[in-house]
Amino acid sequence: MADTQPSGPNPAVADQFAGRRLIERGHSRFLEHTQNATGIDIGACYQCERCTNACPVARYMDIKPHQVIRYTQLGWREALMHSTTIWVCLSCEMCTTYCPNAVDVAGLINHLRNTAARLPIRPAEKELAQFHQIFLEELRRFGRVNELWLMATFNRRPAILKKKLKDGSLKEDLSLGFNLWRRGRLKLLPHRSRGIGEIRKLYRHRRGESD
Amino acid sequence: MALSFYPGCSLEGMANDYARSITAVFEDLGIDLVEIDDWSCCGSTAAHSLDETMSVALPARNLAAAGEMGLDIVSPCAMCFNRLRYAQLMLKRRSFDIPWQVDTDFAVHDMTRFLAAPDMLAQIRKRVVRPLANLKTVCYYGCQMVRPPSITGYTDFENPQTLDAIMDAVGAQVKDWSYKSTCCGASIGIGRREIRDTLTNRILDKAAHTGAEAIVVSCPLCQANLDTVPRRPGAGRLPVFYFTELMRLAFRPAAEAGWFRAHLTNPLPLLNTKGLVAA
Amino acid sequence: MKNTAHPHISGKALVVGGGIGGIQCALDLADTGFYVYLLEKSASVGGTMARLDKTFPTNDCSTCMISPKLVQVARHRNIEILTLSRLAALSGKPGNFRAQIEKQPRYVDHEKCIACGACAQKCPQKVPDPFNGGLSMRKAAYLTFPQAVPLKYAIDAQNCLYLTRGKCGLCRKICPTRAIAYDQQPETLELTVGAVVLCTGFELALTRQNGEYGYDRYRNVVSSLQYERMLSATGPYGGHVRRPSDGRTPRRVAWIQCVLSRDPSRNRPFCSAVCCMHAAKQAVLTRQHDPDSQATIYFMDVRAHGKGFDDYIERARAHYGVHYKRSMISQVYLEPDSEDLIIETFDHHLNRKVEETYDLVVLSSGFKPSEAFGDLAKRLEIDTNPYGFALTDFQHPVHTSRPGVFVCGATETPKDIPETVIQAGAAAAEAAALVHPARHRDVTSETTPPERALDAEPRIGVFVCHCGSNIAGVVDIEKTVAYAKTLPHVAYADHFLFSCSNDTLQKMEALIRDKRLNRIVVAACSPRTHEPLFQSVLQKAGVNPYLFELASIRDQCSWVHSDDPAKATAKSMDLIRASTARAARLEALSDHTYSVTKTGLVIGAGIAGMTAALALADQGFAVHLVEKEGSLGGFANNLTGTLEGNSPAALVHALAERIKTHRNVYLHLGSQLVAHRGHMGAFEGAIRTTSGEEAIQYGAVVVATGGSAYTPTEYLYGRDERVVTQVELSRRLQTDPGWARGLRQVVMIQCVGSRNEAFPFCSRVCCSAAVKNALLLKELDPGINLVVLYRDVRTFAFKELYYLKARRRGVLFFRYIPQAPPEVHRENGTLVVDFTDRSSHQDFGIQPDLLVLSAGIRPNAGTAQIADLLKLPTTEEGFFLEAHVKLRPVEMATAGIFIAGLAHSPRFIEETLTMARAPPSRPPRSCAAGR
Ligand SMILES: Cc1cc2nc3c(=O)[nH]c(=O)nc-3n(C[C@H](O)[C@H](O)[C@H](O)COP(=O)(O)OP(=O)(O)OC[C@H]3O[C@@H](n4cnc5c(N)ncnc54)[C@H](O)[C@@H]3O)c2cc1C
Ligand code: SF4
Ligand code: SF4
Ligand code: SF4
Ligand code: SF4
Repeated sequence: MADTQPSGPNPAVADQFAGRRLIERGHSRFLEHTQNATGIDIGACYQCERCTNACPVARYMDIKPHQVIRYTQLGWREALMHSTTIWVCLSCEMCTTYCPNAVDVAGLINHLRNTAARLPIRPAEKELAQFHQIFLEELRRFGRVNELWLMATFNRRPAILKKKLKDGSLKEDLSLGFNLWRRGRLKLLPHRSRGIGEIRKLYRHRRGESD
Repeated sequence: MALSFYPGCSLEGMANDYARSITAVFEDLGIDLVEIDDWSCCGSTAAHSLDETMSVALPARNLAAAGEMGLDIVSPCAMCFNRLRYAQLMLKRRSFDIPWQVDTDFAVHDMTRFLAAPDMLAQIRKRVVRPLANLKTVCYYGCQMVRPPSITGYTDFENPQTLDAIMDAVGAQVKDWSYKSTCCGASIGIGRREIRDTLTNRILDKAAHTGAEAIVVSCPLCQANLDTVPRRPGAGRLPVFYFTELMRLAFRPAAEAGWFRAHLTNPLPLLNTKGLVAA
Repeated sequence: MKNTAHPHISGKALVVGGGIGGIQCALDLADTGFYVYLLEKSASVGGTMARLDKTFPTNDCSTCMISPKLVQVARHRNIEILTLSRLAALSGKPGNFRAQIEKQPRYVDHEKCIACGACAQKCPQKVPDPFNGGLSMRKAAYLTFPQAVPLKYAIDAQNCLYLTRGKCGLCRKICPTRAIAYDQQPETLELTVGAVVLCTGFELALTRQNGEYGYDRYRNVVSSLQYERMLSATGPYGGHVRRPSDGRTPRRVAWIQCVLSRDPSRNRPFCSAVCCMHAAKQAVLTRQHDPDSQATIYFMDVRAHGKGFDDYIERARAHYGVHYKRSMISQVYLEPDSEDLIIETFDHHLNRKVEETYDLVVLSSGFKPSEAFGDLAKRLEIDTNPYGFALTDFQHPVHTSRPGVFVCGATETPKDIPETVIQAGAAAAEAAALVHPARHRDVTSETTPPERALDAEPRIGVFVCHCGSNIAGVVDIEKTVAYAKTLPHVAYADHFLFSCSNDTLQKMEALIRDKRLNRIVVAACSPRTHEPLFQSVLQKAGVNPYLFELASIRDQCSWVHSDDPAKATAKSMDLIRASTARAARLEALSDHTYSVTKTGLVIGAGIAGMTAALALADQGFAVHLVEKEGSLGGFANNLTGTLEGNSPAALVHALAERIKTHRNVYLHLGSQLVAHRGHMGAFEGAIRTTSGEEAIQYGAVVVATGGSAYTPTEYLYGRDERVVTQVELSRRLQTDPGWARGLRQVVMIQCVGSRNEAFPFCSRVCCSAAVKNALLLKELDPGINLVVLYRDVRTFAFKELYYLKARRRGVLFFRYIPQAPPEVHRENGTLVVDFTDRSSHQDFGIQPDLLVLSAGIRPNAGTAQIADLLKLPTTEEGFFLEAHVKLRPVEMATAGIFIAGLAHSPRFIEETLTMARAPPSRPPRSCAAGR
């Protein structure tokens, strides 16, 4: 009978919060703030786990999608900001599509990722976070993104280079790259958009820099 | 008929084979694709992941340009389609502090849906010279084209039909399978390769198990991923076609289709045994 | 004597919809002196219940239960069945409506068809059979199902080759009675009726279009109703469960619950209330059919809120090994070679996805009102809720928004058979109250043929029933019949698929005459439900009804020895031998008639008792209402408001005012019934009041002794003033809202004193009570921290909307398991509640200002005394045990004694009101008949 099985604890998270937890008054401030910012009805969730069952990468997450909702309801912002979940999530929208309560789980996770990206927190999945940053950086440089340059910039990061050398994935990358080049699928030089001025202005604007 | 065309970054590089087949097919169908002048990147997953506002602003630049052309947009890339639609919807909902004036009154189509409209299917059928009979395919739609339905408009997100209908129109055998829109993990491939490999390999296994000889896609990311992912030793590979490549093959059997050489998994032996290309 | 008073009131009623609700309602009205038109849109009556296999919680066979009812309506001289008909318009006033009926052609002459089936046999046009959910084929000339009432073939105009293309015409050539009539035209009838009852029932919300979980895409994904047919002996596979794809017996079967229910994203936010139970039933039956099978149910909350339901679930789990998995599924995948189905869930132990493979997946689809009801409601200008169900009023739960038009069954909310039957009784009673001045005016009375002279020698007829596969699946029928023929005095022996179906009964009647049988033995189900039916056949055939014996070979042989056919067969033969021996010695008896007392006795003046008393009094009967307390209202006096915002106090007040002033009601406050004897129609008893004893006479009794709240011994209740019950909290909220505004943190614990070993029942109302109070507290202070600790949230039907609202308002619901209930203790004077969250796997220690216990419902203290005095059986928990859980929920086994309200089981006020209106449509049958 399902009831009797204790569900396995989640070591990564349990460690952070050993002992009894309190539900403090004001736990709902984070919830309200998040609901207002995203328009997502997070309270509606009845913890049916349909989102987690739908999620293709739940096993790689320390806080599963349905738990993300619970944590948000309880105001456990810190744990969410430091989770692998927000970086592992693929934005595949399975969770949102299948949630019977129309809770936009993917939207919530994305919002949390957005928030974490603005904070001086070391992301739990550094490479994933870095890749997004490099992508946006390439976009800022050219207005469009050239796959070859994107990969090259990414692999040039010392930490990444080191890891890829170590696990052999750099070799894989290079051989794949060569294969693709032979087949004419790599564009060697990036195209620079004529509107690049506007785009960079937008970036500056978003970063709060003056023109 | 004319449409404004937003190719997206991949079509300049990895997916230039897709780009070439699209041009050819639309020429055959007599539809003008007018590339949006000086289009820029939609921001893809990165902008969405890090900065919601940017994920509206970046596509907005292109929407603004398309708006000036007064034509509906068609996008061949699932990701770009999703981002453009998302931005359009958000702009309709509330105002954003962005430098572009966007009129959101035109439609953003994904290319398959545009071509799967009944009148377009009739056009397609009319142009088929050599039906792709005997070619057993499964269609793979991926995530971004169909989900979330509130943005993409695909109410049949679990069992979408657009690619299936187009492949049927060019005479291919289309097999139903359950993994049409199961995520292949492409977007995580860079940082967590093993996750991508697991997800993609599973889809390839399921396709083979369904009895497909080839997979048909409409998204550059899906294609690249399914075509290049390292396979488990012993597991076979299936050619992964862009649907436009196969359309063109049915329209003009004799024409040179150089783009097949761009595939990592060489599709020519298969097409050859089916009598669809000369040896 | 014809009733000529009030000529402007019609003594006829129109019942729309011929499901169990409509049938029960029609019978109740017709038996109490009204002429009934029973309107049905399809070709035969029976509705959904006719399609079910067995029913929870008794696992009684559905056909066996509905068949006698079908026969009764078919043979009732005061019921006119109008099939293939719809109510097109209604004008006029309550008491005197004009109903315009449109009747579609059957293309088979009703009078001529002898149901030989030749037309269907020869018809070349096959179409998927809707009765079997499209799992088998039928012909364009068809009979809905073998026991159909009326037992007349019909031609389906959409598929008939002759009617669509002018070709074929085979059936007309073949029909021996020339009954085929292609030229029949639609007709319009104009009827005058005094009242209308809508019983149009429900349909599954799952349709071929919405593609839920691969329905209509994968062949081995079926709907709950299709699965009922697959289980049924009369279904597409003759009672052997098979997979649609390859005919193999499925070994691994999964149920997915809440399909298109509790799903706000599909605009279906309500709970369909029945599917948790029917899934449990189907799983149990699957395990019974094939002990090697595996049954797994994927669910969120088990909603087993009815009488004895939790017990049933527990048996399904523990005894039948049904697996329950609390996990909702997103998608069903197909295994292409085998057409097996794959369900993916996330396993928290293994921290990965697991794929589980099933041979068959059953979707427990939600309910929606019958498709045709939407238009009907518009035409009749009846208010519906946003999901299309008929709206009713709190104080009048079977009244629609249009006076004179009543409603019952699944048209009003999703509900099960007993609740439908109860509501049907209430609707009949309300309709009767409206038109009672015209009682007996439009009816003719039943006449039975005189008994014929019998041969001196016994000539016994033995009829062995297959009971579908209930008996024939185990007992060797041929052998039993052959054996019966060898027994002394047996002049004839035969066997039938369903002996209780209308056509079989007609055959039986003919056989009794033709073979000059003078004693009858039917070897079948159980005398409890069927004896009167068979006796009426004897009567019609001119044989004294007491020359009858029933050998209960289903209940006593095939059901108890289902695993040992040889033993079951041997025992059946024994029982038949004993019955024939007894039959040979039977003597004719005659019923004596006696005059009945046209007075009722109602025990208990709570909401149920007052309502029952008024319902009787309104129909012109005198009523003694006996209440042991000094005031009216009972337990409802403790209640402040309902979840939906209605006022019990206002209701009590309104009822009490009427009770006190009604000239037919004799109110005895501070009194108790102390003596009771006699029989239906002529009871005698005594009530003791402060001033002494008074003897009374009455024809019928309604027991409405009600219930009380459990006084918790758990969780520091009574030892710490911060621990209160939900009822106490409601009262305090009403009298002292300022106090409530000062609360910062409140915890509620559910199922206190319910669903445990000492008291296995679910108290049904406390989940809603918690949601109600939580919403009230949030209203007073939106910032309050509110935590509800529950086992299953049982806000069934539209109460689910309030659960949703509470979640949206920020009430936190945490589930606990009975093995690890919350712990409450004091730490330095602070109240602490410890529990574990099953979702985040965190242990919590909360310090609430107030702890609210959802204490359960108990039968009233006086129940045992009444049970003793009236010799009535009770359940282990102390609630009265009705005569038949499914079909006679308001009657006790003793004729003339009825039951209503909490004395029967925990129920909501609306439900109590409904139930208390139901008995009055039955006593009059005994009282009002006049003798
Ligand atoms: C799979 C399944 C299993 C179930 N198992 C059980 C069980 O084990 N136990 C239990 O208690 N309950 C069970 N139920 C519930 C039970 O079926 C219902 O409670 C009951 O049948 C409701 O009866 P009804 O008369 O209200 O509606 P219905 O049985 O639906 O009858 C309505 C009738 O009205 C007719 N009609 C509809 N519209 C019109 C119109 N406009 N004009 C004229 N006629 C019309 C219909 O054709 C139909 O004959 C189950 C339900 C399902 C789906
Ligand atoms: S699917 Fe929706 S309701 Fe279910 S657990 Fe996830 S977020 Fe909550
Ligand atoms: S969007 Fe993210 S959380 Fe949701 S299913 Fe996809 S990967 Fe999982
Ligand atoms: S919870 Fe309600 S809707 Fe869901 S299966 Fe149970 S009874 Fe049906
Ligand atoms: S709280 Fe009451 S209604 Fe809810 S499950 Fe427990 S006993 Fe049943």
